[in-house]
Amino acid sequence: MTDKDVIICRCEEVTRGEIEEAIRLGLTTMNEVKRLTRAGLGLCQGKTCSRLVADILARETNRPTQDVKPSTCRPPTRVMPIGVLASLPSDSD
Amino acid sequence: MRVGDHPILGKAEWGKKVTLMVDGHPVEALEGEPIATALLAAGRRVFRYTTKLKEPRGVFCALGRCTDCVMVVDGQPNVRTCVTPVRDGMVIETQVGLGQWCYSKKTGEKKG
Amino acid sequence: MGKVEVAVVGAGAAGISASIEAARAGAKVVLIDENERPGGQLFKQIHKFFGSEAHRAGIRGIQIGTDLLEQAKEAGVQIRLNTVVYGLFAEKCLGLMCGDHTEELQADVIILATGASEKPLAFPGWTLPGVMGAGAAQTLINIHRTLPGGRVLMVGAGNVGLIVSYQLLQAGAEVVAIVEGLPTIGGYGVHASKIRRAGVPILLSHTVLGAEGHESVERAVISRIDKNWVPLQGTEKTLEIDTLCLAVGLSPLAELAWMAGCRFIHISPMGGWIPVHDENMQTTLPGIYVAGDLTGIEEASTAMEEGRLAGLAAAEALGCLSFEEGAMKKAEVRERLETLRIGSFGKGRSLGKKQILESRGTV
Repeated sequence: MTDKDVIICRCEEVTRGEIEEAIRLGLTTMNEVKRLTRAGLGLCQGKTCSRLVADILARETNRPTQDVKPSTCRPPTRVMPIGVLASLPSDSD
Repeated sequence: MRVGDHPILGKAEWGKKVTLMVDGHPVEALEGEPIATALLAAGRRVFRYTTKLKEPRGVFCALGRCTDCVMVVDGQPNVRTCVTPVRDGMVIETQVGLGQWCYSKKTGEKKG
Repeated sequence: MGKVEVAVVGAGAAGISASIEAARAGAKVVLIDENERPGGQLFKQIHKFFGSEAHRAGIRGIQIGTDLLEQAKEAGVQIRLNTVVYGLFAEKCLGLMCGDHTEELQADVIILATGASEKPLAFPGWTLPGVMGAGAAQTLINIHRTLPGGRVLMVGAGNVGLIVSYQLLQAGAEVVAIVEGLPTIGGYGVHASKIRRAGVPILLSHTVLGAEGHESVERAVISRIDKNWVPLQGTEKTLEIDTLCLAVGLSPLAELAWMAGCRFIHISPMGGWIPVHDENMQTTLPGIYVAGDLTGIEEASTAMEEGRLAGLAAAEALGCLSFEEGAMKKAEVRERLETLRIGSFGKGRSLGKKQILESRGTV
């Protein structure tokens, strides 16, 4: 296995090579990388891979890690069944 | 492997024994513990196979965040076994990919 | 919609401490945690803490956790477990998920104490069952009394790597080696000595090249590296193991702070992106406070003190504490925090904290 085949996003099984290739198409933000490669869109929503992806993006675009803004964080913070989200709050009529 | 005797924590006070059905085989567990530790104690380390590459996965974070340890529990897929407590008679299956919803929520009967 | 004066998210060292101070000052406090038991990392810490007597030196984390919970209950804190805060919305409204239903909770003051998570290290074979965080192994052995395996390779010689290695030995596993990429040990000397005396080799300037195995980890290949972290050819060694633990650092779990719109600053030695806060632990959003590892990776003792500071500040903001009493109590806490951030290990953290206080955030 080469370096390119190492899985970066464990949930969506996106490799380092796939992420680097996508960035070379001209991507510059975490949101773009997420949307194009699906890295960060799996069950854990980037909790495990976002640091790794940010490091790759920083290196490929010649920037320090602190210049790479994390992708937008939206609710829910944890896995939530649609039925639970759609249910009315328990104290409403 | 269970840690029965520990130099700091002392002798373990094991809870009541319960039985899980894992891929059709009975596995002993302890009341109150997460499914994952019962499986690890029984020598079981592969919990699921991934969607794309069909690779084995097991416990990674043990805190309910990484979602690597998910299995199909009582017909429901994507259940995080490291934070879900066991129940006597629980049915646990190795998850392949994202799993399938086996049970009709309306009628409760098993489909397929 | 439920209403509360102080909502504390995360019942770890910082969160419990914050809720105790706020409740003692007279505020109505709800302490929320997604787990089925409170305590955060405290109940995994079976070793004795350091520091002064005020910092509970010589006492094990598990005892401190038990004591804190007693105090919280006595102070009248309402503790809600198995409850996920799935969102932090406008007007300090929290979205809660408890079992099969959701709720909204409106708070006058929110204290986020959501802690940190383990950093990943990607290498060939890292997804194999048997590769896990060091904290994960610690949870399994100290809380659930189940060993993840019998022959362990530990990656990282910081405090977590050293402590968990020792605890794995206590639980009956064999630690084959600890590899550390830096040429120096990052953790406290006392932990390193204990581990060495137990016969575990600490291999500095070494890294793991890969984990191998059919369905789970069976072997790992390590090698020496040069000062640019490039593996040196010919120094590869294969170790027969069944468990590989990653102890390569922690980074704050700040989803709710991001979501709410708090400003952040990136400080690598503190764990990465940190929500900017002032001397009262208040973020750039009025009424939202932060405490503990969420505000930079330190230790349980600093987490408890920061929690106290946030709890006192919250009580003061609500009018439960007079300005004079608040100032006095906060000064005591700040003094203790200062003494916790001295010495060769504390200096870096002290600098990091200064950077946070002087910043208005970069994103």
